[in-house]
Amino acid sequence: MANKSDYFVRTKRQYLLSLFLMMLASNFVLIAIWITIKNKLSLSTGEYTEILGMVAVVISIALALVLTNHLISPIKALWRLIIGITPNSSMPAPNIDKLKVGHELVANLTAQVIQLSSAVGKEVKGNEKDSNIDHNFIANNLPLPMFILDSGQNIIFANSHAGEYIGINSSDLTGKNFYMVMDMSFPSDNTLDSWMKKVKKDSATATMSWERVKMRVLDNHPTLLFDLAAYYNKDNPQDFESVIVLFDHTKQYSQDEQAISFIALSVHELRTPLTLLRGYIEALEEVLADNPNAELKDFMQKMSATAQQLTVFVNNILNVARVDNDQLELQLREESWEDIITSAVNNISLRAKVRGINIETEIEPNLPSVGVDRLSIYEVINNLIDNAIKYSGNSKTIKVKAHMSKEGLIETTVQDFGVGISQNIMPNLFTKFYRDHKNRAQIGGNGLGLYLCKAIITAHGGNIWVRSKTGEGSEFSFTVRPYAQLAAELKNSDNKEIVRGAHGWIKNHSLYRR
Amino acid sequence: MNPTEKPEEKITPAVLNASKKVLCIEDEPFIGELYTRALSKEGYEVKLEIDGAKGLELAQTDQFDIILLDLMVPNVTGIEILRALRDPQKTPHLKAKIIITTNLEQREDIKEDIEKQADGYIVKAELTPKQLVEFLNNIP
Repeated sequence: MANKSDYFVRTKRQYLLSLFLMMLASNFVLIAIWITIKNKLSLSTGEYTEILGMVAVVISIALALVLTNHLISPIKALWRLIIGITPNSSMPAPNIDKLKVGHELVANLTAQVIQLSSAVGKEVKGNEKDSNIDHNFIANNLPLPMFILDSGQNIIFANSHAGEYIGINSSDLTGKNFYMVMDMSFPSDNTLDSWMKKVKKDSATATMSWERVKMRVLDNHPTLLFDLAAYYNKDNPQDFESVIVLFDHTKQYSQDEQAISFIALSVHELRTPLTLLRGYIEALEEVLADNPNAELKDFMQKMSATAQQLTVFVNNILNVARVDNDQLELQLREESWEDIITSAVNNISLRAKVRGINIETEIEPNLPSVGVDRLSIYEVINNLIDNAIKYSGNSKTIKVKAHMSKEGLIETTVQDFGVGISQNIMPNLFTKFYRDHKNRAQIGGNGLGLYLCKAIITAHGGNIWVRSKTGEGSEFSFTVRPYAQLAAELKNSDNKEIVRGAHGWIKNHSLYRR
Repeated sequence: MNPTEKPEEKITPAVLNASKKVLCIEDEPFIGELYTRALSKEGYEVKLEIDGAKGLELAQTDQFDIILLDLMVPNVTGIEILRALRDPQKTPHLKAKIIITTNLEQREDIKEDIEKQADGYIVKAELTPKQLVEFLNNIP
């Protein structure tokens, strides 16, 4: 409105100005005519001069008014026309036929304006038509499961494919909390939930996608494996805060699982004879317990140690396959670190003993309890001590030390005084199938152990590293977190334990879950 | 329980186990032999069964204190036996503790299910027969 009145003020000013100029111009004309007449007729007009002057002024005003109105009228008509075509305008359309000046110009311009405005109008109308297409129709014909969530993570809409995919009627999904329906597991700490919390805090819109998301739907139903894409829009007026689309890859991804099944079956076939070997060795040891033959006892122990070593190797194969396929699951629970180290060392002491090696432990007193997966940590310690035994050379001592680090983590070191590791291979030490080629001939090993150790420790949220000098021995150290640190995480989730995978794989914990 | 407190390890004398009956459903006869030997030495009374169907029947008709259950047994699988034993309609009065003994790695979710239903889960290759008996002695 302010613009409109402003426009009127300005037109009025221009109107008055042109009026004034017209008056001036017509005055000059009248004066010129008057002087010409006076000279030609040699009239003495003394007494009429004032009257004639006034008549001239009146005529000039009338002339100026008429001329100005005529000259301005085409512009006025165009102005009315343009105002008139804007939506919701009450301005009547101008009557072009009444124009005396610039009729043709205005008629042409009017035709142009009307043409243009109708073209724009069509476009607007066309859009309206498109937006009237049934959203459900599009969503249900989209051959992908799709969900629309509100800001409370509740499902506002799920298309029919979404319902079919997870085996729930899609109309039953509406109103349910998304995380209650979808119990997903992500291959890393970057879960949908954690991303959503982040973008809610600092973004207006955002998109993100994930690969290899796992979800178990029903008992006796294969686990679903899919990629997931999410779109987030904070300020959607209808509270359509996020759109989630799933891309099923169950078939492709489960081929990896079949590879695991093959390994699991092979491992089973290896374990059965191993169980028997260990069982009969133990029985034989009992039978021969009273036999004074020292050599016999020595042989028995070496057999037993070898069988144990094979058990570790078989577990390594299985666990490496799991790591590679994101299937290693860890259950982090509160444990006493001293207890774990002591029993792991006890477990392996026979293997050290048969090689004449003594394992010394130095555990800092009063270490806080740790949050670890007991069996996996046993495997780490087993592998590190096994390596220390293998590479001890003529040295007969291995040290296992544990203390609280400056960073508040529990740091454990397995130290040997054997052959050491040359600098050039250190960077690749934790890679799969990597081994010191120089030592390959003399020392057995499969290059899986350290790779597995790194995966397990990483999944625990810790670090693993090595210090070594050729000829002086090696120190492998790793950290695990105190339980108190994990307890804080547990507080925020409904789970009683933390489930983690080898690549930091974690369940989609959600604060929205009740 | 504070996990830093280690439960006291009591060496259970053979006499205490004298009345304890164990059903071992295991199709590998050598493993069966080793387990029977180790358990008998500690005073347990052991019944060995190779066949899954017969094992289930025995578990339902006779009373045992402990059932060692292999998952890969012929005719009726270990998982089916476990389900039947946990179904009060099929097995109304089960007093036995069920310990799964297997060398087959299960998919994590299946394993969780089995562990929930059983009283213990053991990978046979991880424990010598003696260690298994120790484990059973410590079951409350």
